[in-house]
Order: sequence, then C-alpha cells, then structure tokens
Amino acid sequence: MTTQAMRALGSAIALMLCTALGAAAQERPAPAAPSSDLDRAQAAFQAGRHAEALASARRAADAAPTSVRALTARAGMAEFMGEFDEARTVYDRAGALAPDDPDTIDRTASFAARMGEYDRALAQLDRLLALHPRHVRWLFQWAPTSLQASLLRDHPSLERIVQIKLDILTEKGALEQARRMARAYAIVQPGQNYCDQARERSRAGAERDEIFKAFRLATLGQPDAADCIWWYGQWLSDEGYVRLGRLMVIEGTRVTSSGNKESGARYLKIRLGGNREVSKRAEQMFLIARQRYLRHGDVDGAMRLFDETIRLAPTFARPYNYRAAIAAELGDREAALAWLQRGLQADPDSWRTHRNLGKLLSDLERYPEAEMHLRKTVQLFGDDAGGRLALARVLYAQGKYDDFVREARTALAFLANWKAPVPEVQDFLAKFDRWGPGVALPPAPDPRTIIGWNYD
Amino acid sequence: MTDRIAPVLTLIAALALLPAGGSAETYRWIDEQGNVTYSNRPPQPREVLPTPETRPAPETKPAPELKAPDAKAPEPKTPETKTPQAKTPDAKTPEARAPEPPGTRDAKATVPPTQIPRAGPTKVDELLELSGVRAQLVGLLNRVVLDLRPPSGQMSAADLATIDRILAQSLRHEAVYGAVRDAFRPQVDRPNLEAAAAWLRTPVARKIVAMEIASSEPSAEQKVADYAAMVKANPPPARRLELLQRLDWVTGANETSADLVAAIARGLSTAVSAAGPPESRLRPGQIEDRAAQVRARAQETLREVRTMSMLYTYQALEDDELAEYVRFSGSDAGRWYNTAMRKALVGAIGKVVEQTATELVRAVPLERWARAAMPAPHPVK
Repeated sequence: MTTQAMRALGSAIALMLCTALGAAAQERPAPAAPSSDLDRAQAAFQAGRHAEALASARRAADAAPTSVRALTARAGMAEFMGEFDEARTVYDRAGALAPDDPDTIDRTASFAARMGEYDRALAQLDRLLALHPRHVRWLFQWAPTSLQASLLRDHPSLERIVQIKLDILTEKGALEQARRMARAYAIVQPGQNYCDQARERSRAGAERDEIFKAFRLATLGQPDAADCIWWYGQWLSDEGYVRLGRLMVIEGTRVTSSGNKESGARYLKIRLGGNREVSKRAEQMFLIARQRYLRHGDVDGAMRLFDETIRLAPTFARPYNYRAAIAAELGDREAALAWLQRGLQADPDSWRTHRNLGKLLSDLERYPEAEMHLRKTVQLFGDDAGGRLALARVLYAQGKYDDFVREARTALAFLANWKAPVPEVQDFLAKFDRWGPGVALPPAPDPRTIIGWNYD
Repeated sequence: MTDRIAPVLTLIAALALLPAGGSAETYRWIDEQGNVTYSNRPPQPREVLPTPETRPAPETKPAPELKAPDAKAPEPKTPETKTPQAKTPDAKTPEARAPEPPGTRDAKATVPPTQIPRAGPTKVDELLELSGVRAQLVGLLNRVVLDLRPPSGQMSAADLATIDRILAQSLRHEAVYGAVRDAFRPQVDRPNLEAAAAWLRTPVARKIVAMEIASSEPSAEQKVADYAAMVKANPPPARRLELLQRLDWVTGANETSADLVAAIARGLSTAVSAAGPPESRLRPGQIEDRAAQVRARAQETLREVRTMSMLYTYQALEDDELAEYVRFSGSDAGRWYNTAMRKALVGAIGKVVEQTATELVRAVPLERWARAAMPAPHPVK
C-alpha cells in the first residue's frame, strides 16, 4: 500500500471514528457532564496524536464512569490503538449502561466481528435489528429484493447489519451464502460488471479503499471473475488481512484457468504462510501494529503489538519482518538479523523473510550467507526481479561474474516485459561486458513491478 | 542546522576531481626534530625547519613544485632516490599548535608525495604517502571546513571564533589522517599492498599522482571550467574518452565520491539530530534514508563533472601512460587498493565529520546556526 494511500485510509478511519464520536455526542445527552478530557481526546485524535487521545479518553471515562459517550469514545480509541482487552471491557460497560443504544450495539458487533467472535457479533446484530419498528423488520426479512435497496437507504443501520453479516459469512468461508445475501439485499445487482468498474476506478487512480470496495463487490457479484477475486485477495494480503486474503486467493485459484493454479498455490505458500494458524485477533493486532509503525511512527507502541502478535501467532512470519525493520531503523542490525532468522524458523518458505535477510546480509557484506538467502528468494519466486538484482550484486561482490551476468540478464529481460527498464543496471552490464569487472558493485534497484508484492 | 546538509553537495566539485581520494591544498613542513607535518594551515615560524620544500616563507605564495597540467610534469625521481625531506613514515608528528582560523591562509604549498626509500616491507604510511592520499586529505578537510563554517557576518564574532577553533582542532590533518590509516590497516593484504606500492613507485605512477594533486588545487576549478570551454570547441579523441571512462570504471571513483558525500551527510544529520529536542530526533534508519537521498543527488552531479575533470587532470599524460594506469587499476592490486581506500576514507571522514558537527552544535546552539544564513554554494563546474 502506498504511503499516500495509507495516509488516506488512516484519515478515513480517523474521520469515521471521530464522526462516530461526534454522532454519539449528538444522539444522546450524557448522563454525566462530558469532561473536557473527552474534548481533548477528540482534538488529539483528530490531530493524529493517538496515544495522547487514548490517555485523555481514559481520564474522561474514569471521571464520568456512567457516561456512555465517554465510554464508547474510550473503547473506540482503545480498539483503534490495538488495546483489545481494554476495548472489550469498556464496550461491555457501555452496553450494560445503555443496552438499547443502537450505536453502542453496532460498535460492539463490529468489534466482535473484528475479534473473530462471530456468534457474539451476530447476536449483537440481532439485537440491533430488534430495535427497529416491527414493519421495518418485516420488510427487511421478507420484502423482495426490489424493495431492499430503498429500505437500506432509508435505514443505514440495516445496511450496517447486512455488510457486517456479509463480512462474517465471507470470513467463515461461506462465500456462496454471502453472495446470495448480497444479491437478496441488492448490494450487488445482476448484469453489472463490477470487475470492469473496479478496474476502471483503479485505472482512474481512485482512493485505494474505494478501489478495494469495488473489488469486494466484484467478488460478491461476479463469482467467475477470477482476476478480480485474485486482486482482492492480493489487496487483503497487502493490508495484512491474511485470513481473508487466503480465502480469496484460494477462491481465485479455484476459478482461474488451469495454467494459473500453480501460481495461486505458490502465493499461498510463500506469501501467506500456507495454512499456518493466524487467529483473527493476531491478524488484527498485526494490522494495527503495522499502522502504528508505518503511519503514526509510533515505534514503541508498534513493537509491543508486534511482540504480542508473535506471541499469539508464532508461525506468522510478517511481524518478525517488521520487528527486524524497526531494529534496523533503530540502528541495531544484529538484532534485525536475529528477528529475520527467527522469522525463517517460524516459516522457512517465507519469500519476504529470505529476501529481507539476504539484503541485510548483503549490506553487512556477509556475501556467502546473503547469496544463500537471495538464491532461495528467487527460487521461491522466480518473477522477483528486485530480488534477482540483489542476488546479482552479491554474486558480483564475490567475483562470481558469470553467475552475476546470468542473473542480471534474467532480471532485465523480465523487467523489459513489464516495461520497467532499469537503465543503471543496463549501463553497468554494458561497461562490464566491455571492460571487465570494476571496483563499484552493481546497482540493485527494486522496481515495483508486481502488484502487492512490495508491501509485506 | 539540519538543512546544512545541502551545502555538503558543494563538496562534489572537489570530490569530482579525485580518483579515489580528496582534493589537496596542502601545507607540508619539517620541524626542527625532522618530523614531517601535513596540515590545512600554514606552518608557523617556530614550527618550520627551513628546507627547499618550505621555502619561501609562509607569507609568500610558493610556486607549486609541479605545474601539471599546464606545464609538462617534471620527470619523477627514481624510487630509490633519497630526498632530504624524506621521513620514515611512522615518525610522530607534532600536535597542532594554536589553531589558525580556517580559510584565512594566504600561502600554500601543494606538494606531491616524495619518494620514500625502500627498507623491508612497505608500511601503510608509506603506501598512503606514495598514493597521494595523505596529501590530498588536506584539501578534502579544507573543503569540509568551508562547508561547515558560516560566512563572515552571519554569526557573532564570538560564535565564529568558537567555530573556527573547533574546526581547526577537530579537523586537524594529522588526526584525520591517523583515522584513515587506522581504518585502512585492517584491510591490508600484504601481496596486494606490495604490488600496489611497486606500481606507485614507477615513474608513470609518480607522474600521475603529482598531476592529481596539482589539479586538485582550488585554482584548478577555474582551469577546469576554462578547459571545458576549450574542449567544447575541440573535442578530445574517442580513445582518450574511452580510457578515462574506463579508468573511472575500474577505480570506482565516482562511487567513492558519492559515498563520501553520503558519509558527510550522515555524520551531520546524526550530530544535528542528537542536539535537537528528543521528540524531533531522527532514528538511525531515517538518517540512513537521508544519506541515501543525498548520495543519489550527488551521484547525478558527479557524473556530469567527472569526465571533464579527468580530461583536464590527465591532459599531459600520453594515452599509453593512461592505459598503464587503467591496467594497474584493473589488476587485483589496483582493485584491492581502491576498495580498501574507499572504505577507509568513507568510514574515517564520516566519523570525523560527525564528531566535529557534534562539537559545533554543542558549542553554538542550533538556534544560532539556524539564524545564520546558508553559505553561498561553491559553483559546481
């Protein structure tokens, strides 16, 4: 995910949360007078000072323990920061104080779905539905599809119910059931080419989350659109939704042509950890840790969450890579090496971990070891031109010039097909061919030619 | 002060003139004890033992010993010839005396390395002397001083005096040379060192080293510009261009220069960041990113100026002599020497710059640096 896109998504999430907080404030008067800490929390949150926002929200909730507004604000911020135990406790307290508050129920359901507690989430959604007038409930359950679109438009909370249920069904692997539901509630319409629309948005440079939503619709509305389902799976993988990403890649592989099936199987193995267990909680913890590190620059907070992710899902390679990146950023390259080595123990087929380790060893001029890991990198994923150029550099550094030429030429040929020329490498190779080896090592750029594969 | 990384790019002009080292503006003298001293300041009257080399007196501008490339370089002496000023390489040099304000000298003596008598295995000092690195380091340090020192009038006299004192103290030639030598030593490969030294003692190598030092004088910058205009009207033969490009390739000179610029940027960023408030400090990884950006920019500029600088520097050299230089540089010994020197220079200079900048921002707070206008960048020709 590009930095801009991550920022955009971050703003969207922040805006959503703030809007929700604001809406909560408008919907009901607080039993206790809202403290100024709550205002400060919201201001800090909007300004991107998330840790400060959570601290203020905690103070606000402690000062007004019967204020649903203060409690939901605290729970929302705790959830946003990956403090899941705290979020659950506080949501429960808010729910106990206001059992019929639709916003609290909605948030509790959403949080439960996020934690993979699907039965609990569904129970909350049933409660939310029960708050609607009888005729609305009847229409929601029995009206024909042609009426559902306007019903959901008039009652946004009903659409929330549908969307959360669609996610739950999809995450549980009941994709066919989710598709039926999407059709029944007119979330997708027959005859629409969602896949083309998604591609069009992608080409037009729409916001990334907007593109994501479009490909989600394609997955629900066009079961045979293998490319779009595959794309959706890759997008989810990029973001760290490893569980749903796996399901979508499996589905895309299932419906794709026989020639592409091997590619799907390889993707699952080398990028998504095969069938290694990653709980929903661990996955979500990882997502937030990544967000705190990359987007907020909160290294300490991110480290703690990555460590917790590793504790919850010890065979999930990606958090080890991030711990290594943080260690390197803090100037401790030995620690970075150790994290990557642990990552490979956890998942020996992790392409990204071999790649990162190979490149780090190359930086440390430990060329024979670097060669071993970079060879494994391109063995796992032959289209990794950047990894191949890194391997070529390491071979050159060791005086293995024939191997260098072979790997560099292979990478150049691949990149030429992608119309991603790397003139500096071509220039280096031309000089080498003409004059033999020079002192400087060959450049090893890392062109972003493969969708999604650069974001682990 | 963080933004003072930008002026580092002005180093490019100097770096571009070097095959693998730094530009030279050398003061070299022998004291009463016979110690050879290299410095970026002129010798003080009490320090100097009158020798042909230190004549005329410091206040008089001496004629350079070698006028290449304007004049044909004198034939170097045979390697075994003893010269009066020759000094055993490991001899101790005196500590610097009261520092001179940088950039105020009015006398200079650019001195090509002398021949050093052979006695047993070649010492590292001897090699560095022969290669001209020792002499050229002075020029590089001068350039660093120029870039770190705010222009007169931008800071109070007291601050400027403090800065001058620190620069003169921290960037003492002998200390920095010692750091380079210490960084070079672990990389010594005896057979390659002897082979490199043997080449450096040859007449053609002496001639080349002398030319490199001569062309790295500050006055050479204008000469390169004039020469460039001349070359436009009268382009060099293709063989000459090919030889120079090949020389650049086998020595990795362009990469070394870019690495040096990055090392300086890294050192400055580290020091400045550490002096700032904790919340705005850069992490090592962020500093690395900045250094990489500076390096990439430097590399582009270097590429443009390098060929012209080389054309100018070696204009008095015959093609066959240049080819000989290329052959040595492409040999195992040449490759070893250039690789080892690159590592030593980059490591030592980066460290020295970081230490100096740390001292500077400790003595003169960042706010006062920020108020000072940026120095006008030296033109890159």
